[in-house]
Amino acid sequence: MKHKITIGWLYPEFMNIYGDRGNILVLQKRCTWRGLKAEVKLLELGFSEKELYNCDILMMGGAQDLQQKIVSDDLLPKRKALSSIIEAGVPGLYVCGAYQFLGNYYKDADGKIIEGLKIFDLHTVNPGEKSKRLIGNLTTRISMSIDSPLTTLVGFENHGGRTYLGKKVKSLAKVLNGHGNNGEDLTEGAFYKNSIGTYMHGPILPKNPHLADYLIKCALQMKDRSAILPLLDDTVELNAHKAIAKRMGIEI
Amino acid sequence: MKNFLLIFLGKLILKLSRLFNLGSGSTWPGHIAISINPNFTTDVLRKSKSKIIIIAGTNGKTTTSLLIQTILEGAGYKTLHNKSGANLENGIASTLLEGISLGGRLPFDFLLFESDENTLPNLLEQINPDYLVLLNLFRDQLDRYGELDSIAKKWKKGIYGLLEKSTLILNADDPQISFFSEDTRAKTYFFGIKSPLSGSSIAHGADSIFCPKCSSKLTFSQVFYSHLGIWSCTGCGLKRKTPQLSASSHYPLEGLHNKYNVNAASLLAKVLRIPQSSLNKSLTRFEPAFGRQEKLIVDNKSVQIYLSKNPTSLNETLSILNTHKATDVLIILNDRVPDGLDVSWIWDVNFENHLSKNTVISVSGDRLWDMSLRLKYAGFKKIISFPNLDDAIKNSLENTRPGNTLFILPNYSAMLETRKILTGKKIL
Repeated sequence: MKHKITIGWLYPEFMNIYGDRGNILVLQKRCTWRGLKAEVKLLELGFSEKELYNCDILMMGGAQDLQQKIVSDDLLPKRKALSSIIEAGVPGLYVCGAYQFLGNYYKDADGKIIEGLKIFDLHTVNPGEKSKRLIGNLTTRISMSIDSPLTTLVGFENHGGRTYLGKKVKSLAKVLNGHGNNGEDLTEGAFYKNSIGTYMHGPILPKNPHLADYLIKCALQMKDRSAILPLLDDTVELNAHKAIAKRMGIEI
Repeated sequence: MKNFLLIFLGKLILKLSRLFNLGSGSTWPGHIAISINPNFTTDVLRKSKSKIIIIAGTNGKTTTSLLIQTILEGAGYKTLHNKSGANLENGIASTLLEGISLGGRLPFDFLLFESDENTLPNLLEQINPDYLVLLNLFRDQLDRYGELDSIAKKWKKGIYGLLEKSTLILNADDPQISFFSEDTRAKTYFFGIKSPLSGSSIAHGADSIFCPKCSSKLTFSQVFYSHLGIWSCTGCGLKRKTPQLSASSHYPLEGLHNKYNVNAASLLAKVLRIPQSSLNKSLTRFEPAFGRQEKLIVDNKSVQIYLSKNPTSLNETLSILNTHKATDVLIILNDRVPDGLDVSWIWDVNFENHLSKNTVISVSGDRLWDMSLRLKYAGFKKIISFPNLDDAIKNSLENTRPGNTLFILPNYSAMLETRKILTGKKIL
């Protein structure tokens, strides 16, 4: 295959607390193993929004509070550009802090409203220190069709905020074991156009190769509608996936 | 009176648990003592004339404590130290129970407590140490400790409360640690290291790259590893202090991280006016703590165990393995409570830059598939995964050729298990 996939990594220096680099590595390797060219574009603080239009897949991870504040000041002015490419169907993966930030707003523990990018129709509430953080392994069933016999997702979650989905987004998955978006309604993550928001790290893509391939396939088909992805040997990936699911009482 | 009974009871439990080999009983007598008298530790220490040294940091506290103990004992002082990684409050209470006389006396010149990151703020509320040695802060077990910034905030509060008679021994090269000198009545001293091989760029996975004072980005003229180096702030001008000590006479352990540990201990020795000749002698005869570059001979094969528990410590271990051109490597990854339940940090380790990609790497532990997967994506071609740890160790030993060393890289609980298999003894 002669296509080239450009993976835009939003704020690698700031938003990288939970091993999210793994997601980038997986996207990159799974392209090159199939003979696709893959380039990783680092979109650091102060990047030009024009660069967003050259990206075929986007990825943004989570961060500590302080770093997140710095990043939101940088990204808010680029909202229109980001929104337009997400609306156009450019696939992306937004984890934890990034996921929350793409929503309408975040209400912090003191009740203060922090504006979001308003791209995903959802909001997040931090119930304060009296409520426990939602921490642990998480196993879910994917809500949408991604063309794979494997329909579960596994990961690790660690978040204080509770996210509630609005009408314009679907949930990414249904919680089988763990907390998910808010620990109440059994939803996990959000799915909008071809973009995915999720609390799953671990990071999410290595142990969920079907989700990684879904993102790559979306990116590829925006260039060539007839493109297909050859299968790879995912023995180790599936062993890692099954080991967590099994531990949580879910047989694959 | 109440404490007399507690001490008696605690000592009895310690003896019994040793007798029946219930894991040497290193923490639960203390747990019982604290649950009966929450002020047990403070009560005991209030009556004691021993000087108190607390050692904290993400990496290196056990090694540094042992170095300090070796140096003090070499200089003729009597010390009590919370061994075996019993670095939570109950471990410290247990150590006191072990050292105290039935009459409530502590016949020691120095009490050495290594403290877990989360325990330090509570400990500082109960104890005003004479010396507080702070090594570093790296990301570690986010599911248990939370984010680095929030730990630093809690530490700062504790350090703010220290009295004038306290002395802080701080790492000048760690911006967060160095910043603790700004807001305290305690005397402060700084240690650092020298390294000719350092670059000036920050590698992936570094933590404190923002100013602890004004949050601007820091610049580094030298990076030793992770975020340790010669730093200054582009915003407020805060910068690294010149260390009083950045070289020691002898380094008994390999790696830059151990240079820091040795220099921290040497600086404390200087502050305590321990003669240079005595210090030199102690450093030369130092033996590593269990699992920290510990060398064993098993079935006539040489084995070295490198505890590797977070991105920084695993990165450092890998760069030591590079210098040894290691050919036999076993990595063991568990996800139990003392390890942290979240193993995503392995993706922040720079496996890509280390070892030949043809190195045979055996993998085991609760999370063997996660580690195998990480190594696959790092480009290693010969990965052998063992669901059973006994098999992994047996096979790795068999495949290690005479004259070679088998390098075992476990995280915490995996290290205890590995040692038990290799030596037949339990530590905790």
